[in-house]
Amino acid sequence: MPTEELAFLPITELSKRIEAKKLSPVDLTQYFLDRSQKLGPRYNAYARLTPEIAMAQAKAAEKEIQRGHYRGPLHGIPYAAKDLLAVKGVPCTWGAKPYATQVFNYDATVIEHLNRVGAVLLGKAAMIELAGGMGYRFASASLQSDAKNPWDTRCWTCGSSSGSGAIVAAGLAPFAIGTETWGSILCPSAFCGVSGLRPTYGRVSRYGAMALSPSMDKIGPLARSAEDCARVFAAMAGHDPRDRSTLPLDKAAFTYSPSIELKSRALKIGWLTNAWKKPESGVAKAADAAEKVVKKYFPGVKNAKLPEGPFEDAGNIIIAVEGASSFRSLIRSGRVSELADPLGQLAGYVNEQFSGADYVQAQRVRDLLQKKMDAMFDTFDVLVAATQPVAATPLDLNLETGLSYSDPQGGIGNLCGLPALSVPCGFTDKNLPVGLQFMARAGDDIAVIQAARIFQQHTDWHRRHPKIA
Amino acid sequence: MSEEPREPSAPKGISRREFARRAAVASAVAAVVPASALTSPSSPLNEHATVAAADRGGHLSDPSSRLSLDQQPTDLPKLSPESHAEVEARVQTILSQYGSRFSDAQKNDLRRLCHLAQPPLDRLRAYALENGDGPALYLKPLVEREKNPLENTRVGKTPGAAEKPKDR
Repeated sequence: MPTEELAFLPITELSKRIEAKKLSPVDLTQYFLDRSQKLGPRYNAYARLTPEIAMAQAKAAEKEIQRGHYRGPLHGIPYAAKDLLAVKGVPCTWGAKPYATQVFNYDATVIEHLNRVGAVLLGKAAMIELAGGMGYRFASASLQSDAKNPWDTRCWTCGSSSGSGAIVAAGLAPFAIGTETWGSILCPSAFCGVSGLRPTYGRVSRYGAMALSPSMDKIGPLARSAEDCARVFAAMAGHDPRDRSTLPLDKAAFTYSPSIELKSRALKIGWLTNAWKKPESGVAKAADAAEKVVKKYFPGVKNAKLPEGPFEDAGNIIIAVEGASSFRSLIRSGRVSELADPLGQLAGYVNEQFSGADYVQAQRVRDLLQKKMDAMFDTFDVLVAATQPVAATPLDLNLETGLSYSDPQGGIGNLCGLPALSVPCGFTDKNLPVGLQFMARAGDDIAVIQAARIFQQHTDWHRRHPKIA
Repeated sequence: MSEEPREPSAPKGISRREFARRAAVASAVAAVVPASALTSPSSPLNEHATVAAADRGGHLSDPSSRLSLDQQPTDLPKLSPESHAEVEARVQTILSQYGSRFSDAQKNDLRRLCHLAQPPLDRLRAYALENGDGPALYLKPLVEREKNPLENTRVGKTPGAAEKPKDR
């Protein structure tokens, strides 16, 4: 039977054992189900477990592998999916009370893809209600209440993929699927000390996923390493005629092999000097140390600056207007009052009021920004900076009065659909993880994976995990 | 857990505005800074208590119940007369349509959110654009590079992608 060490092994190691028939997918799945049942409530990590689906998929995987039909590195690997991805017959609450009984009769494309490679669905990960689409003031803005950070349960995991971050950090699954409109994969990855990939916009189909801001929503994995993220991304990516925003086949598809370093190019790295105005001291210290590692292993690192302008404003207006449209019926019906968060109950009414002219103005500014960033990537392949300027914050913090910082890196990255990967790069004095973000040109997801992999080949932050009693 | 370290140099007005702006327009990000970064002891929620108390059934029918320009709260961003009028119009529209749904405290909050949403709009509108500047097609640069094969070399190709059939 599996031992405790399995909880924090990367997919790369688990898959080797499964392929060699040294590890049973059924045993592995039962192990993670038991662990999730026992520890999940401690972190408010899951919306629900799906043990029947999990065991059926695990048994099917085991049978196939025993017969010699090994599908690849995710075959028999358990995972959790954010509770905004449709799974046939399973409640999909979007983290919000008005949708508490919602059930879809089909699988999201991402779920289909993961089924196809033999991954095993353990359950649905908790999330911030409507992925924060109506705004939120407290970490408790979720049907599952506040997601507790496995590194310190008095702290938050960040949102909106809050359960996904907790699940991977606590060793409740080898990987989890999250989504990002602005920060919702990268911030939980940083706060929880795990690796998280925000793919290029349009490489992963959103069919069957809750829409918040259709021109900005992305789906991506949180896992134990950049390499694990790459393997999951390879399974998820691809054109989907049911999501017309997906890129054409040859631009959407992503293939990954361990020998990728052999074909890799010398990356031109830019270290961002204006990503954050004033990171907190623990983050700054870790980021400074990470910068030294980056400069050691990537020759010719130069300082870089993000363009300045009202880009965050444009991003906020776009999300606000698209979100108000996505949840119009919720706002108009008044059922938005059922949301848990006091800000979530109100912000939609304000967001409805923005004019069409202002929305188009934001989209025109976005176009100019995309050109500026594309030109910047003629000089640099990858831009690097701390993922967030702070580490995990107290659970009861009023985010509105207690939080504030400008986030040009997140705003620009998401407005331009740029791929980014956050990896752990150290800890604060309070033993809270710090993240380092790699961001590249649209379509160049392989560059952020390559850069993050090189960083992780020379550091061991991603191998550390919290002590789970 | 003890409180996170302070950011003493964070300009208090800008800090709060910056986050509240983001929250009000429903950014999906959970941006976080220390609670102690907020240095003003007063809650913005209290600033408009008298105004909201004057609301009746969602309508501010009495002009005297509206905030005049010189009554703008001191801890919220100062607005031009035009922007202030726009905020008031926005508040009126919401209250006239949905006013009966809100408590007085929520009406206060709505007014504050409308106020905080205005500076981003003003900044966005002030950004210089030419008549021919079009709206973003997502990832337009990626699509445009496709038109010039030579440019393709700049993008990291995914192994095996070339073998895949073209999308129709």
